[in-house]
Amino acid sequence: MSIDVTAGGGGAADAISAVFREEAGAICAELTRQLGDLDLAEDLVQDAIEAALRTWPRDGLPDRPGAWLLQAARRRGIDRLRRETRYREKLELLMSMASGSSEGEPDDRLRLVFTCCHPAIAREAQVALTLRAVMGMTTAEIARAFLVSEATMAQRIVRAKRKIVEAHIPYRVPNAEMLPERLTQVLAMLYLVYNEGYLSSGPERSTARDLCADALWLCRLVDRLLPDEPEVMSLLALMQLHEARRAARFDAGGALVLLRDQDRALWDGDTIASAAALLERARRLGSPGPYWLQAAIAATHAEAPSYEATDWPEILALYGALLRFAPGPVVRLNRAIALWHVGGAAAAMEEVEALAPALDRYHLYHATRAELLRAFGRHDEAREADARALELTQNPAERELIRRRVESGGEGAELSDAGMSGRRALGEV
Amino acid sequence: MKYALMFIREDEEGFLSRPDHGDVYQSINRFFMDLGSNGKIANPGAELQPMTTATTVRWAEGKPLVTDGPFMETKEGIGGFTIIEAEDLDEAIAIAQRWPAHDHAVEIRPIVEHGEMGM
Repeated sequence: MSIDVTAGGGGAADAISAVFREEAGAICAELTRQLGDLDLAEDLVQDAIEAALRTWPRDGLPDRPGAWLLQAARRRGIDRLRRETRYREKLELLMSMASGSSEGEPDDRLRLVFTCCHPAIAREAQVALTLRAVMGMTTAEIARAFLVSEATMAQRIVRAKRKIVEAHIPYRVPNAEMLPERLTQVLAMLYLVYNEGYLSSGPERSTARDLCADALWLCRLVDRLLPDEPEVMSLLALMQLHEARRAARFDAGGALVLLRDQDRALWDGDTIASAAALLERARRLGSPGPYWLQAAIAATHAEAPSYEATDWPEILALYGALLRFAPGPVVRLNRAIALWHVGGAAAAMEEVEALAPALDRYHLYHATRAELLRAFGRHDEAREADARALELTQNPAERELIRRRVESGGEGAELSDAGMSGRRALGEV
Repeated sequence: MKYALMFIREDEEGFLSRPDHGDVYQSINRFFMDLGSNGKIANPGAELQPMTTATTVRWAEGKPLVTDGPFMETKEGIGGFTIIEAEDLDEAIAIAQRWPAHDHAVEIRPIVEHGEMGM
């Protein structure tokens, strides 16, 4: 590795993060298998990461960073266990562990992922634990990414780890009978991490780690270790389709650009084509699940030559099918937008009005309604709806967009960024 | 590893008043027979009379206070419990999923085993 990480700046931090991502989960899985104690193993890896963060930026990356981290974790474990007599057996295990690499051992990271995402652990703790144990993120980084204090995040992680120990949550890939349900948990965790990265991203990245890249990386890993699972492939395709459009999401001034106005020449055609191929393979493996449908919606948008030439009937049908898995109001709202293009504004308006009680606190509901009202020339009501949308969102890029629309008297497109719109929708599955 | 399975239900009237209680009891009996023959029952536990029969003792400033009714003022209550022997939480979940009365919920709680904690 020839990257100079002592130079500082985003590139160096990215290089170190990439090393953690590649190595931390494997080391944590290895130590968990050797020690039979995920809680301890995970703490030791975190200590090693903290040590690396202190020394690597100063001294540069070691030749074999993975071996360095494993050594640091072992040494740290030996120090710690020496002081606690009840861990004598584990101490011996650590001392006798081959100092070499774990090459040739099976990749245990899948067990780690399934344990971190056990349904007995709350979703937000699943996310935190996976990012720490599998991805090698520090508690401080995770806290920053999810806008909670480090103490809160640390407590969340400690509680989840305690539950793994006390309730005897097994360290294994679930059996065939339990696998579909457990995989749903893993996918929901990945989806949440990706969305968090996607929605908080801007032209300037505010966090040290790119959560989208992390989620994509882990989804790819799960796909490799658990091949031919159509919903894993579909989620991977969904993420790729969003990545492919990333360059067009912000203009030169850093403002959010809506799907309708995006310069499609900036989209990455190769990535779109390979995501579409992946979706086609997934379709042949089983009947379409919720991630397949979401990805198919994103693919239909991504393959359209222009916003106007989008295959709206197809999108309407896909949202209809998605409603069977996620019968929530957010999916219905997105379906209503497709309906607008297929069946006209009146039909869409009827559907949107029916969603008022359920979505009154959802900014995109009011933004969409504003659009529709404008189509009917009801400008005063549209302004009110936009004002309500503005009240309800904290996201700076979205706020800016709505503000510009209000100031320009309504010129501008619908805010709902189709394809990424299932954010809450799939959380409801 | 021992886990308590707590069978939670809306039980204002209790179990026996249900018109289908004969069938339900039969399937519940089968559940326990299967578990027992696999050596998974650590303690068979008990079925409780409905919550309307409950009396609660609590302490206020050191003095015992007896009140009528259950401690928790909710519609749902524990209708019974059993203690199972399972390898890990996943096995306990698999057992709980075989509980035949689907208008119940089954809460799974690991049992504190003092011996193993070196006490």
